[in-house]
Amino acid sequence: MPEIVLNAEVGRTLGSRSARRLRAEGKIPGVVYGHGTDPVPVAVVGRDLRVALSGESGSNTLLSLAAGDQTFLTLAREMQRHPVRGTVIHVDFQIVRRDEIIAADVPITLVGEALEVHHGDGLVDQQLFTLPVRARPSDIPTVVELDITGLTIGSALRVADLQLASGVTTDLEDDVAIVTGQPPRVQALETEGAEGEAGEGSEAQTEIDTSGAAGEG
Amino acid sequence: MLMPRKVKHRKQQRGRLTGDAKRGTAVSFGDFGIQALEPAWLTARQIEAARIAMTRHVKRGGKVWIRVFPDRPVTQKPAETRMGSGKGNPEHWVAVVRPGKVLFELAGVEPELAHEAMDRAIQKLPMKARFVVRAGTHGVPEVQV
Repeated sequence: MPEIVLNAEVGRTLGSRSARRLRAEGKIPGVVYGHGTDPVPVAVVGRDLRVALSGESGSNTLLSLAAGDQTFLTLAREMQRHPVRGTVIHVDFQIVRRDEIIAADVPITLVGEALEVHHGDGLVDQQLFTLPVRARPSDIPTVVELDITGLTIGSALRVADLQLASGVTTDLEDDVAIVTGQPPRVQALETEGAEGEAGEGSEAQTEIDTSGAAGEG
Repeated sequence: MLMPRKVKHRKQQRGRLTGDAKRGTAVSFGDFGIQALEPAWLTARQIEAARIAMTRHVKRGGKVWIRVFPDRPVTQKPAETRMGSGKGNPEHWVAVVRPGKVLFELAGVEPELAHEAMDRAIQKLPMKARFVVRAGTHGVPEVQV
Protein backbone atom coordinates (compact mmCIF):
# COMPACT_ATOMS: atom_id res chain seq x y z
CA MET A 1 0.00 0.00 0.00
CA PRO A 2 1.63 3.31 -1.05
CA GLU A 3 1.50 5.95 1.62
CA ILE A 4 0.12 9.43 1.06
CA VAL A 5 2.27 12.40 1.93
CA LEU A 6 0.67 14.84 4.37
CA ASN A 7 2.36 18.02 5.48
CA ALA A 8 2.11 19.01 9.13
CA GLU A 9 3.22 22.10 10.99
CA VAL A 10 5.17 21.53 14.16
CA GLY A 11 5.54 23.82 17.12
CA ARG A 12 1.92 24.85 17.46
CA THR A 13 0.96 26.54 20.69
CA LEU A 14 -0.87 24.27 23.10
CA GLY A 15 -4.20 25.10 24.67
CA SER A 16 -7.82 25.46 23.71
CA ARG A 17 -7.57 29.08 22.64
CA SER A 18 -4.81 28.49 20.08
CA ALA A 19 -6.49 25.27 18.95
CA ARG A 20 -9.68 27.22 18.27
CA ARG A 21 -7.72 29.79 16.28
CA LEU A 22 -6.10 27.01 14.24
CA ARG A 23 -9.53 25.58 13.43
CA ALA A 24 -10.73 29.00 12.33
CA GLU A 25 -7.84 29.01 9.82
CA GLY A 26 -8.99 25.67 8.42
CA LYS A 27 -6.34 23.65 10.23
CA ILE A 28 -6.81 20.69 12.54
CA PRO A 29 -4.68 20.32 15.67
CA GLY A 30 -3.21 16.89 16.23
CA VAL A 31 -0.50 14.93 17.95
CA VAL A 32 2.06 12.42 16.71
CA TYR A 33 3.07 9.62 19.04
CA GLY A 34 4.18 6.01 19.13
CA HIS A 35 7.20 3.73 19.54
CA GLY A 36 8.33 5.46 22.70
CA THR A 37 8.87 8.84 21.09
CA ASP A 38 7.83 12.01 22.82
CA PRO A 39 4.44 13.25 21.62
CA VAL A 40 4.78 15.98 18.99
CA PRO A 41 1.91 18.48 18.73
CA VAL A 42 1.20 19.24 15.07
CA ALA A 43 -1.38 20.95 12.91
CA VAL A 44 -2.54 19.75 9.49
CA VAL A 45 -4.61 21.53 6.85
CA GLY A 46 -8.15 20.18 7.13
CA ARG A 47 -8.66 19.99 3.39
CA ASP A 48 -5.47 17.97 2.91
CA LEU A 49 -6.46 15.55 5.67
CA ARG A 50 -9.88 15.03 4.12
CA VAL A 51 -8.34 14.33 0.71
CA ALA A 52 -5.77 11.98 2.26
CA LEU A 53 -8.39 9.96 4.14
CA SER A 54 -10.99 9.90 1.37
CA GLY A 55 -9.16 7.31 -0.69
CA GLU A 56 -9.87 3.62 -1.01
CA SER A 57 -8.52 2.76 2.44
CA GLY A 58 -10.47 5.49 4.19
CA SER A 59 -9.25 6.26 7.68
CA ASN A 60 -6.79 3.33 7.55
CA THR A 61 -4.68 5.06 4.91
CA LEU A 62 -0.94 5.03 5.60
CA LEU A 63 0.22 8.59 5.90
CA SER A 64 3.77 9.80 5.46
CA LEU A 65 3.59 12.75 7.79
CA ALA A 66 6.15 15.42 6.98
CA ALA A 67 6.48 17.32 10.24
CA GLY A 68 9.26 19.85 10.09
CA ASP A 69 12.52 18.10 9.26
CA GLN A 70 11.18 14.70 10.28
CA THR A 71 8.97 12.27 8.40
CA PHE A 72 6.80 9.76 10.25
CA LEU A 73 4.94 6.78 8.83
CA THR A 74 1.62 7.09 10.61
CA LEU A 75 -2.01 6.08 10.76
CA ALA A 76 -4.74 8.55 11.69
CA ARG A 77 -6.35 7.40 14.91
CA GLU A 78 -8.93 8.67 17.38
CA MET A 79 -10.49 11.45 15.35
CA GLN A 80 -12.45 13.70 17.69
CA ARG A 81 -15.52 15.21 16.07
CA HIS A 82 -17.63 18.24 16.86
CA PRO A 83 -20.88 16.99 18.43
CA VAL A 84 -23.18 19.03 16.18
CA ARG A 85 -21.21 19.86 13.05
CA GLY A 86 -19.51 16.47 12.83
CA THR A 87 -16.26 18.04 11.68
CA VAL A 88 -12.92 16.67 12.85
CA ILE A 89 -11.56 18.86 15.65
CA HIS A 90 -8.50 16.83 16.65
CA VAL A 91 -6.63 13.89 15.23
CA ASP A 92 -4.04 11.51 16.61
CA PHE A 93 -1.30 10.18 14.36
CA GLN A 94 0.18 6.91 15.55
CA ILE A 95 3.67 6.08 14.34
CA VAL A 96 3.83 2.60 12.81
CA ARG A 97 6.47 0.41 11.20
CA ARG A 98 5.87 -1.50 8.02
CA ASP A 99 6.89 -4.83 9.57
CA GLU A 100 4.87 -4.69 12.78
CA ILE A 101 1.41 -6.07 13.40
CA ILE A 102 -1.02 -3.31 14.29
CA ALA A 103 -4.69 -3.14 15.18
CA ALA A 104 -7.19 -1.37 12.95
CA ASP A 105 -10.95 -1.22 12.44
CA VAL A 106 -12.07 -2.17 8.94
CA PRO A 107 -15.59 -1.44 7.69
CA ILE A 108 -17.79 -4.45 6.92
CA THR A 109 -19.73 -4.21 3.66
CA LEU A 110 -22.70 -6.45 2.94
CA VAL A 111 -22.89 -7.70 -0.63
CA GLY A 112 -25.67 -9.59 -2.38
CA GLU A 113 -29.38 -9.64 -1.69
CA ALA A 114 -30.94 -11.62 1.15
CA LEU A 115 -33.89 -12.74 -0.97
CA GLU A 116 -35.29 -15.21 1.56
CA VAL A 117 -35.40 -12.55 4.26
CA HIS A 118 -37.05 -10.02 1.95
CA HIS A 119 -39.65 -12.56 0.72
CA GLY A 120 -40.54 -13.32 4.31
CA ASP A 121 -40.92 -9.58 5.12
CA GLY A 122 -37.99 -9.88 7.47
CA LEU A 123 -35.22 -7.45 8.26
CA VAL A 124 -31.50 -7.71 7.58
CA ASP A 125 -30.11 -6.48 10.88
CA GLN A 126 -26.42 -5.60 10.71
CA GLN A 127 -24.99 -5.70 14.22
CA LEU A 128 -21.30 -5.23 13.53
CA PHE A 129 -20.25 -2.39 11.24
CA THR A 130 -16.48 -2.53 11.68
CA LEU A 131 -14.19 -5.47 12.25
CA PRO A 132 -11.19 -5.05 14.55
CA VAL A 133 -8.28 -6.68 12.71
CA ARG A 134 -4.60 -7.22 13.30
CA ALA A 135 -2.27 -7.02 10.33
CA ARG A 136 0.78 -5.31 8.92
CA PRO A 137 -0.01 -1.74 7.82
CA SER A 138 0.27 -2.69 4.17
CA ASP A 139 -2.00 -5.73 4.60
CA ILE A 140 -4.93 -3.93 6.23
CA PRO A 141 -7.89 -4.53 3.91
CA THR A 142 -9.89 -1.55 2.70
CA VAL A 143 -13.21 -3.32 3.39
CA VAL A 144 -14.28 -6.75 4.53
CA GLU A 145 -17.09 -8.04 2.34
CA LEU A 146 -19.76 -10.41 3.58
CA ASP A 147 -22.09 -12.15 1.16
CA ILE A 148 -25.61 -12.21 2.63
CA THR A 149 -27.27 -14.10 -0.24
CA GLY A 150 -27.68 -17.22 1.89
CA LEU A 151 -29.11 -15.39 4.91
CA THR A 152 -32.46 -16.66 6.11
CA ILE A 153 -34.90 -15.48 8.77
CA GLY A 154 -33.69 -16.60 12.17
CA SER A 155 -30.16 -17.30 11.00
CA ALA A 156 -27.03 -15.23 11.43
CA LEU A 157 -23.74 -14.75 9.63
CA ARG A 158 -20.85 -14.69 12.02
CA VAL A 159 -17.19 -13.75 12.15
CA ALA A 160 -16.34 -17.32 11.15
CA ASP A 161 -18.14 -16.73 7.83
CA LEU A 162 -15.77 -13.92 6.84
CA GLN A 163 -13.08 -14.54 4.28
CA LEU A 164 -10.04 -12.75 5.64
CA ALA A 165 -6.93 -12.36 3.52
CA SER A 166 -3.74 -14.07 4.61
CA GLY A 167 -1.86 -12.12 7.22
CA VAL A 168 -5.06 -10.62 8.59
CA THR A 169 -6.54 -11.87 11.86
CA THR A 170 -9.27 -10.67 14.16
CA ASP A 171 -9.53 -10.77 17.94
CA LEU A 172 -13.26 -11.39 17.88
CA GLU A 173 -14.63 -14.83 18.67
CA ASP A 174 -15.86 -16.84 15.71
CA ASP A 175 -19.44 -16.94 17.00
CA VAL A 176 -19.94 -13.15 17.16
CA ALA A 177 -22.90 -12.30 14.91
CA ILE A 178 -22.33 -9.72 12.17
CA VAL A 179 -25.71 -9.77 10.50
CA THR A 180 -28.95 -11.53 11.43
CA GLY A 181 -32.19 -12.17 9.59
CA GLN A 182 -34.94 -10.79 11.84
CA PRO A 183 -38.50 -12.09 11.54
CA PRO A 184 -41.38 -9.67 10.90
CA ARG A 185 -42.74 -8.17 14.11
CA VAL A 186 -46.11 -9.81 14.66
CA GLN A 187 -45.68 -10.43 18.37
CA ALA A 188 -45.56 -6.70 19.07
CA LEU A 189 -48.96 -6.31 17.40
CA GLU A 190 -50.59 -8.63 19.93
CA THR A 191 -48.93 -6.88 22.86
CA GLU A 192 -49.99 -3.41 21.76
CA GLY A 193 -53.50 -4.63 21.00
CA ALA A 194 -53.83 -5.85 24.58
CA GLU A 195 -52.90 -2.39 25.79
CA GLY A 196 -55.82 -0.86 23.94
CA GLU A 197 -53.84 0.43 20.97
CA ALA A 198 -55.21 -1.98 18.42
CA GLY A 199 -55.49 0.79 15.84
CA GLU A 200 -51.73 1.02 15.61
CA GLY A 201 -51.27 -2.25 13.81
CA SER A 202 -49.13 -0.78 11.06
CA GLU A 203 -46.53 0.64 13.42
CA ALA A 204 -46.30 -2.61 15.33
CA GLN A 205 -44.58 -4.10 12.29
CA THR A 206 -41.53 -2.03 13.15
CA GLU A 207 -39.16 -3.22 15.83
CA ILE A 208 -38.39 -0.81 18.67
CA ASP A 209 -35.18 -0.98 20.64
CA THR A 210 -34.46 1.20 23.67
CA SER A 211 -31.26 -0.56 24.68
CA GLY A 212 -29.19 2.20 23.11
CA ALA A 213 -30.69 4.85 25.39
CA ALA A 214 -28.13 6.53 27.61
CA GLY A 215 -29.14 8.23 30.79
CA GLU A 216 -26.66 11.07 30.37
CA GLY A 217 -25.89 13.26 27.44
CA MET B 1 -44.71 5.61 27.61
CA LEU B 2 -41.13 5.28 28.81
CA MET B 3 -40.41 5.86 32.50
CA PRO B 4 -38.08 4.38 35.10
CA ARG B 5 -39.31 1.32 37.00
CA LYS B 6 -38.01 2.67 40.27
CA VAL B 7 -35.92 5.65 41.32
CA LYS B 8 -33.71 6.39 44.28
CA HIS B 9 -35.19 9.86 44.82
CA ARG B 10 -38.69 10.91 43.75
CA LYS B 11 -37.85 14.56 43.08
CA GLN B 12 -34.79 16.14 41.46
CA GLN B 13 -33.39 19.62 41.13
CA ARG B 14 -33.66 21.13 37.68
CA GLY B 15 -30.00 21.56 36.78
CA ARG B 16 -28.58 23.61 33.89
CA LEU B 17 -29.01 22.94 30.20
CA THR B 18 -25.78 24.32 28.80
CA GLY B 19 -23.17 22.99 26.41
CA ASP B 20 -23.26 20.26 23.80
CA ALA B 21 -23.85 16.54 24.16
CA LYS B 22 -20.74 14.70 25.24
CA ARG B 23 -21.72 11.27 24.04
CA GLY B 24 -24.34 9.65 21.85
CA THR B 25 -23.61 12.11 19.04
CA ALA B 26 -23.08 9.62 16.21
CA VAL B 27 -25.38 7.16 14.47
CA SER B 28 -24.26 3.91 16.10
CA PHE B 29 -26.92 1.24 15.65
CA GLY B 30 -28.93 1.95 12.51
CA ASP B 31 -28.34 3.69 9.19
CA PHE B 32 -30.21 6.94 9.79
CA GLY B 33 -30.88 9.14 12.79
CA ILE B 34 -32.47 12.26 14.23
CA GLN B 35 -29.96 14.64 15.81
CA ALA B 36 -30.98 17.40 18.19
CA LEU B 37 -29.67 20.88 17.33
CA GLU B 38 -30.97 22.70 20.40
CA PRO B 39 -31.10 21.91 24.11
CA ALA B 40 -34.47 20.81 25.49
CA TRP B 41 -36.27 18.63 27.96
CA LEU B 42 -37.87 15.85 25.93
CA THR B 43 -40.94 14.43 27.63
CA ALA B 44 -41.94 10.79 27.48
CA ARG B 45 -45.06 11.85 25.55
CA GLN B 46 -42.99 13.62 22.91
CA ILE B 47 -40.71 10.61 22.52
CA GLU B 48 -43.75 8.38 22.10
CA ALA B 49 -45.42 10.76 19.63
CA ALA B 50 -42.26 10.93 17.53
CA ARG B 51 -41.90 7.16 17.59
CA ILE B 52 -45.50 6.63 16.50
CA ALA B 53 -45.20 9.21 13.70
CA MET B 54 -42.06 7.52 12.42
CA THR B 55 -43.20 3.91 12.64
CA ARG B 56 -46.61 4.67 11.11
CA HIS B 57 -44.99 6.24 8.08
CA VAL B 58 -42.60 3.33 7.65
CA LYS B 59 -45.66 0.99 7.83
CA ARG B 60 -43.76 -2.28 7.80
CA GLY B 61 -40.22 -3.47 8.21
CA GLY B 62 -37.47 -1.40 9.65
CA LYS B 63 -36.07 -1.23 13.14
CA VAL B 64 -36.17 1.79 15.42
CA TRP B 65 -33.76 2.61 18.23
CA ILE B 66 -34.70 5.17 20.87
CA ARG B 67 -31.41 6.59 22.13
CA VAL B 68 -32.80 8.75 24.92
CA PHE B 69 -34.63 7.71 28.07
CA PRO B 70 -36.83 10.02 30.16
CA ASP B 71 -35.30 9.38 33.57
CA ARG B 72 -35.72 12.85 35.14
CA PRO B 73 -38.92 13.59 37.08
CA VAL B 74 -40.58 16.98 36.61
CA THR B 75 -42.73 18.28 39.44
CA GLN B 76 -45.65 20.69 39.34
CA LYS B 77 -47.67 22.36 42.06
CA PRO B 78 -51.43 22.01 41.70
CA ALA B 79 -53.29 24.95 40.12
CA GLU B 80 -54.37 27.81 42.37
CA THR B 81 -52.11 26.72 45.20
CA ARG B 82 -50.47 29.23 47.52
CA MET B 83 -46.68 29.32 47.40
CA GLY B 84 -44.76 27.36 50.00
CA SER B 85 -45.58 23.99 51.50
CA GLY B 86 -42.71 22.32 49.71
CA LYS B 87 -41.97 21.08 46.23
CA GLY B 88 -44.82 19.94 43.96
CA ASN B 89 -45.70 16.44 42.93
CA PRO B 90 -43.89 14.51 40.17
CA GLU B 91 -46.05 14.92 37.05
CA HIS B 92 -44.05 13.59 34.15
CA TRP B 93 -40.67 12.34 33.02
CA VAL B 94 -38.20 14.01 30.71
CA ALA B 95 -34.92 13.23 28.99
CA VAL B 96 -32.34 16.00 29.09
CA VAL B 97 -31.20 16.62 25.53
CA ARG B 98 -28.25 18.77 24.54
CA PRO B 99 -27.27 19.76 20.98
CA GLY B 100 -25.70 16.94 19.01
CA LYS B 101 -27.54 14.10 20.72
CA VAL B 102 -28.88 11.41 18.40
CA LEU B 103 -32.45 10.80 19.59
CA PHE B 104 -33.72 8.07 17.29
CA GLU B 105 -32.15 5.70 14.82
CA LEU B 106 -33.71 3.72 12.00
CA ALA B 107 -32.51 0.82 9.85
CA GLY B 108 -33.90 -1.54 7.25
CA VAL B 109 -35.70 1.04 5.07
CA GLU B 110 -34.84 3.01 1.95
CA PRO B 111 -33.15 6.40 2.51
CA GLU B 112 -36.04 8.39 1.02
CA LEU B 113 -38.60 6.65 3.22
CA ALA B 114 -36.38 7.07 6.27
CA HIS B 115 -36.02 10.79 5.56
CA GLU B 116 -39.78 11.25 5.21
CA ALA B 117 -40.52 9.24 8.35
CA MET B 118 -37.95 11.08 10.42
CA ASP B 119 -39.14 14.46 9.16
CA ARG B 120 -42.56 13.56 10.54
CA ALA B 121 -41.01 12.54 13.84
CA ILE B 122 -39.06 15.81 14.02
CA GLN B 123 -42.37 17.70 13.88
CA LYS B 124 -43.28 16.13 17.23
CA LEU B 125 -40.12 17.29 18.98
CA PRO B 126 -39.78 20.48 21.04
CA MET B 127 -36.43 21.49 19.55
CA LYS B 128 -34.79 21.92 16.17
CA ALA B 129 -33.48 18.61 14.91
CA ARG B 130 -32.17 17.19 11.68
CA PHE B 131 -31.97 13.97 9.71
CA VAL B 132 -28.49 12.43 9.77
CA VAL B 133 -26.92 9.46 8.00
CA ARG B 134 -24.25 7.14 9.34
CA ALA B 135 -20.79 8.45 8.38
CA GLY B 136 -19.11 6.46 5.64
CA THR B 137 -22.40 5.28 4.11
CA HIS B 138 -24.83 6.67 1.51
CA GLY B 139 -22.20 9.04 0.16
CA VAL B 140 -21.49 10.69 3.53
CA PRO B 141 -17.70 11.03 3.92
CA GLU B 142 -15.97 9.54 6.94
CA VAL B 143 -13.94 12.69 7.45
CA GLN B 144 -15.74 16.03 7.38
CA VAL B 145 -13.70 19.20 7.68
